Amino acid sequence: MIWLEFAIMQRALIGCVLAGFLMGLIGVFVVRMRLSAIGYSMSHGAFAGAALGVATATNPLATGLLFASGTALVIGPIADKARLHADTITSIVFPLNMALAFVFLTLAPEVGLSSQVANVLWGSIISMTNSDLLYLTTLFAVTLAVVYFVWKELFAIMFNRKLAEADGINTKPFVYLIIFLAGVVITFSLKLVGGLLIYALLFNPASTVLQFSENMRKVVIASPLVGMATTVTGLFVSLFFDLPVGSCIVIVSTIVFGVALLLSPKRRRKEENEK
Amino acid sequence: MPEKAIITMENVSTVYEGESRPAIKGINLTINQNELVYVVGPNASGKTTLLETVNGLLPPFKGKVTVFGLDIQKNGKKIRCQIGYVPQDFMVKPGEPYRAIDVVLMGRYGHIGFLKQPTEEDKQKALDAMKLIGIEDLADRPMGKLSGGQQQKVMLARALAKKPKILLLDEPFSNLDPDSRGQIPLLITKLHDEQDLTTMIVTHDIHHMLEHCNRVIVVTGGKVTFDGTPEQALPLVENHPHTTSLKEEHHH
Repeated sequence: MIWLEFAIMQRALIGCVLAGFLMGLIGVFVVRMRLSAIGYSMSHGAFAGAALGVATATNPLATGLLFASGTALVIGPIADKARLHADTITSIVFPLNMALAFVFLTLAPEVGLSSQVANVLWGSIISMTNSDLLYLTTLFAVTLAVVYFVWKELFAIMFNRKLAEADGINTKPFVYLIIFLAGVVITFSLKLVGGLLIYALLFNPASTVLQFSENMRKVVIASPLVGMATTVTGLFVSLFFDLPVGSCIVIVSTIVFGVALLLSPKRRRKEENEK
Repeated sequence: MPEKAIITMENVSTVYEGESRPAIKGINLTINQNELVYVVGPNASGKTTLLETVNGLLPPFKGKVTVFGLDIQKNGKKIRCQIGYVPQDFMVKPGEPYRAIDVVLMGRYGHIGFLKQPTEEDKQKALDAMKLIGIEDLADRPMGKLSGGQQQKVMLARALAKKPKILLLDEPFSNLDPDSRGQIPLLITKLHDEQDLTTMIVTHDIHHMLEHCNRVIVVTGGKVTFDGTPEQALPLVENHPHTTSLKEEHHH
């Protein structure tokens, strides 16, 4: 069985740990800074880009990153100024990126619905290379350093961007830093989970942890751990039942969120208050 | 002592983004050091826009705002570190992951500087501000669990933790319980005098206004329609228990 092949298994496991951690961490900022529409759009931008990479036999990482950043550059300023509602942005950009992705995937006839295409769609553990792991490790270090050093600015912006400005923080560079980091993290995690499902990994861990904690520091520590735990569990479920890894990770993370919702002390207290 | 201008507005008009009608138009105003100004007026008359134009959160499309002699649009970050600001109707929803002390400490962030973390001294100043307002026992409570009045006090403590030179308070007493409504304006007046602050308070509630301030500005339809002493404002407001009934014809 494939999961007995040690090197592949090891790479997949490390990939899951790193991608799960990073998506869980950056997801907190994306969710709390109300950048979900951008995150969602970038995820599918990265998907369309990766599809172009496959179709043109170039590096899907590079094209994915290009499309994710392109999407952010176009949507970022629009969302930033709140000229368009988040729902409008996602409703327009999601189908566009999907349409582009499917066009790209059918562009090269010899590619067809090959395993490479399947990887881009719903992820694959065997696609993780040593260089992918190196990128993810670098990204891990960079993201941790960013969060540590500019935590107070990010914290204030998450609380309220306008008030952060009123307190003398120039918020724009920090918001764009998070958008950029999210784009990179999404792109480098795409291989594992696939372009159709990647955004779930961005939102589910943060949303899960936010059901419990009333202290943002704890949220920022717990969300990456939840992200990591769900990707690793999803990986094992995928290996055990021989199912696509991306789907398994998303199903696991959705179940975890559902359980969190049921157990959430916040919700219970709210109901008690309403009685 | 000659009067020193702290805030000046020269022919300032501001529009809200996406709107074409100016929220304030052609405002000329000078606020001097240690003035305590109450800004009153009907709903949607431009009072909040006026405050947000003063601290530079809203850029004017016409005219110039200077604070401490500097253009607020060019020096916003630097100047806002000196302005304690309480926004209108600010409420944190239940379940939001912020403790009251975290929120108060944020008031100091502008002073701390890039890549630096709050020191023990910053934390102490945040706690001192909470003590001053009488809410030190709420420090570790999640914001979302506090009442509207308690949250408003946290926002006041946040503004004071900054050790500001200017206070801009937008309806800061609206959610307070009756006891606090008596005490907090007194406290603000005391701090204003002791620390030589320059203070602008937007309010609907004019009951305390006359005893606390030394200048009243009425904003109606985006324009300053009255600017004078509380005594001069008295005939204008005493027949109108609520400022929403102030009319355009009550010009100075």
